[in-house]
Amino acid sequence: MTPKPTPVIVEPASAKQVNDWAHSSNLLCCRVDPAGKYVVAGAIDHTIQRWEVATGRKTTLSGHRNWVRTLAFSPDGKNLHSGGYDGRLLAWEIGADDPKPFRDTQAHQGWLRGLAISSDGRLVATCGNDRLVKVWSTRDGGLVRELQGHPNIVYCVHFVPGSHELVSGDIVGNIFHWKAEGHEKTRAFDVKEIFFHIGDLAPFGGILSLGFSHDGRTLTASGLHKVTNAPGGNRRPVAVSFDWVSGEKRPKHESLKKELDGTMWRALHHPSGTLIGVMEKQVGFWNPGSPDVTHLAATPSEIFDCDLHPNQVDLFTAHHDGHLRQMRIGRPRQTAPG
Amino acid sequence: MHGEPYRPCGAIDHLVGRRQFMGDLAAGAGIVAGSSLLASPGGAAEIAGLGKSVVVVYLNGGISQFESWDPKPHLETGGPFQAIPTTVPGVHVSELLPHTARQMHRMALVRSLNTRQDDHGLANNLVRSGRMTQSATEYPELGAVVAKGLEKPDFPLPGHIATMPAGAGGRGNNAAYLGPRYASVNVGAEKGGVVNARLPDGMTVTADKRRHDWRRFVNNRFRGRVDSAEIDAYTQTYEQALRLMERRELFDITREPTRVRDTYGNSEFGKQLLLARRLVEQEVPFVEIQHGGWDFHHNNFEFHLHYVADFDRPFANFMEDLAQRGHLERTLVIVMTEFGRTPRINTGYGRDHYSRAWSIALGGCGIQHGAVIGKTDAKGAEVTDRQVDHRHLFHTYLQAIGIDSSGDFDIAGRKFPVADPAAGPIRELLA
Repeated sequence: MTPKPTPVIVEPASAKQVNDWAHSSNLLCCRVDPAGKYVVAGAIDHTIQRWEVATGRKTTLSGHRNWVRTLAFSPDGKNLHSGGYDGRLLAWEIGADDPKPFRDTQAHQGWLRGLAISSDGRLVATCGNDRLVKVWSTRDGGLVRELQGHPNIVYCVHFVPGSHELVSGDIVGNIFHWKAEGHEKTRAFDVKEIFFHIGDLAPFGGILSLGFSHDGRTLTASGLHKVTNAPGGNRRPVAVSFDWVSGEKRPKHESLKKELDGTMWRALHHPSGTLIGVMEKQVGFWNPGSPDVTHLAATPSEIFDCDLHPNQVDLFTAHHDGHLRQMRIGRPRQTAPG
Repeated sequence: MHGEPYRPCGAIDHLVGRRQFMGDLAAGAGIVAGSSLLASPGGAAEIAGLGKSVVVVYLNGGISQFESWDPKPHLETGGPFQAIPTTVPGVHVSELLPHTARQMHRMALVRSLNTRQDDHGLANNLVRSGRMTQSATEYPELGAVVAKGLEKPDFPLPGHIATMPAGAGGRGNNAAYLGPRYASVNVGAEKGGVVNARLPDGMTVTADKRRHDWRRFVNNRFRGRVDSAEIDAYTQTYEQALRLMERRELFDITREPTRVRDTYGNSEFGKQLLLARRLVEQEVPFVEIQHGGWDFHHNNFEFHLHYVADFDRPFANFMEDLAQRGHLERTLVIVMTEFGRTPRINTGYGRDHYSRAWSIALGGCGIQHGAVIGKTDAKGAEVTDRQVDHRHLFHTYLQAIGIDSSGDFDIAGRKFPVADPAAGPIRELLA
């Protein structure tokens, strides 16, 4: 039974690391299960690492044959879905002592970049280097839909809350909104300002994460902009939000006072309305509507993904140094600060 | 290796036999799409009588050996790309090179370079000249040495041409003591290839001839009073520019049949390769093409995904086209870069400069096709077998096209070794 979230207060200035679990290989992604019992991380040694939040006990999940890039839990918390640069979509029973994949689907040609589960748990969507978005049945693993239209690599996909509609984002700054059935796009969002092209050779940037606010009224994409030297990595992190109904673009979320040479690998909306973004070694917090970051919380290593514990006060971050870190970013409303 | 040992630049019967072999292989292995480019090749005897050429494809900034010629799949230092087999049994390259992999029987790899220089500028000079520039002496680059070594009297074109993406002009400063006669002439693959190669509006051919006659007259009169190598260089440049203008159609790749242009593709790199092939057919001794930059300190894998793809198909088609036309037998093709990339993947998922263990590829004339020279350790961090460096490569390039790299240039009575006398060629790389 998933515990009902407790109303919390986010206190960025008091954010502090409360746990640090090490793995021997760079971590690329992480997710917390809906019950808050496990946190899992995908690594470049082709493994998934599962930690029990309460004890820190670590279990290795082996099955991928390349970097593990993307993870998502079923809403009931029983199953984990993982995608990797082997193009495969694996499904795991996450509560098992020694989980093995119970389903193995060669989902994409080339790298599988992103996946998402519908809120009713019936569908899993994936995307990848083959420019496709695919929708699969979680019941039997069958392909339900294949969506074409992205002109280049598709980095991320997300279900519109409470529906089977999808949004997907690509490397050249397109966000497409797909209908719940069929193969048609409903609309497109242009976020070309977070995409850069090196000559005629390579795109750089694009839509690296997509997420909705808890009221479903805001869609936020994260990535990079202000590129001065792409091969050298000189760029600035950014998030761009849209009014979901009108499609109107809102002011960008940046780190203006403190310039960071980084990419915002994920931006997520806290239920309180605070936007949280991970970039370089920093966790950034933005008050609703604020273009500049309200607070930056430093960590010891570059962050490539993050996820919020269902208690809403613990943020988990996946780091280049192989560590998974737990940061306390707030407190339950009824408790005293400190 | 495939069948008979390859004899470079060989006799007609060998040439025909090899063509037949390649045709069989293409039919069996389905080489590069559109490989039937043998539109109007010169006759075998005609080609066999031509001089040698060298084409350098310079991957500016340092391509990663892991993502190209020395993949280490399934190791963390190896990155996320897999290795694929090539047309040489047992030899694998990165999965990013599927088309080039099908040309590997015409190529060789050197996987054991340790050049001990991680600075772009210095490393660039090192691999191009085969020696470290000393404080008192600059050394000519390979293009200048080849242009001089393969020079023919009254050859109407520059012996050392660098192609640029857009129409470009000017000369490089890369001939050192050999003099500007052998420095690179910059041309482009766009806009007809050579900028300012047409007479200005209103200038007739007759009027143009008259003004050059006048220039020659005053120049000769002045030259009679002043003995200057610099004046000779200027004169030579003028005359070469005129000859180049007369041959400007050679630089216009739009004269190629559409199907050939389509095969090379519409990228800047493909166009430059097509121009290079046209120049090789005209016996230009040395052509350099630049592609890059590859200096991916950040986002190495994403960028290689796109950059290697941009390189792979046009390059493979270029090799195929040269082979089909019979010119690969007389053309040395070198895929050059200044150093490799670190085994360590940095915090931005980039790779930094690394000269201790890296690779290059080369093929065509004079090269033992299918050869793989040297090895690196499992992580690609150290050379474990047959360590070589820029000096050995420089000797090898020259000997592959028949230039005695152990000889000397006589510059105004002073002897300059053609290549570093402390090193020699990689013998097992030579056919």
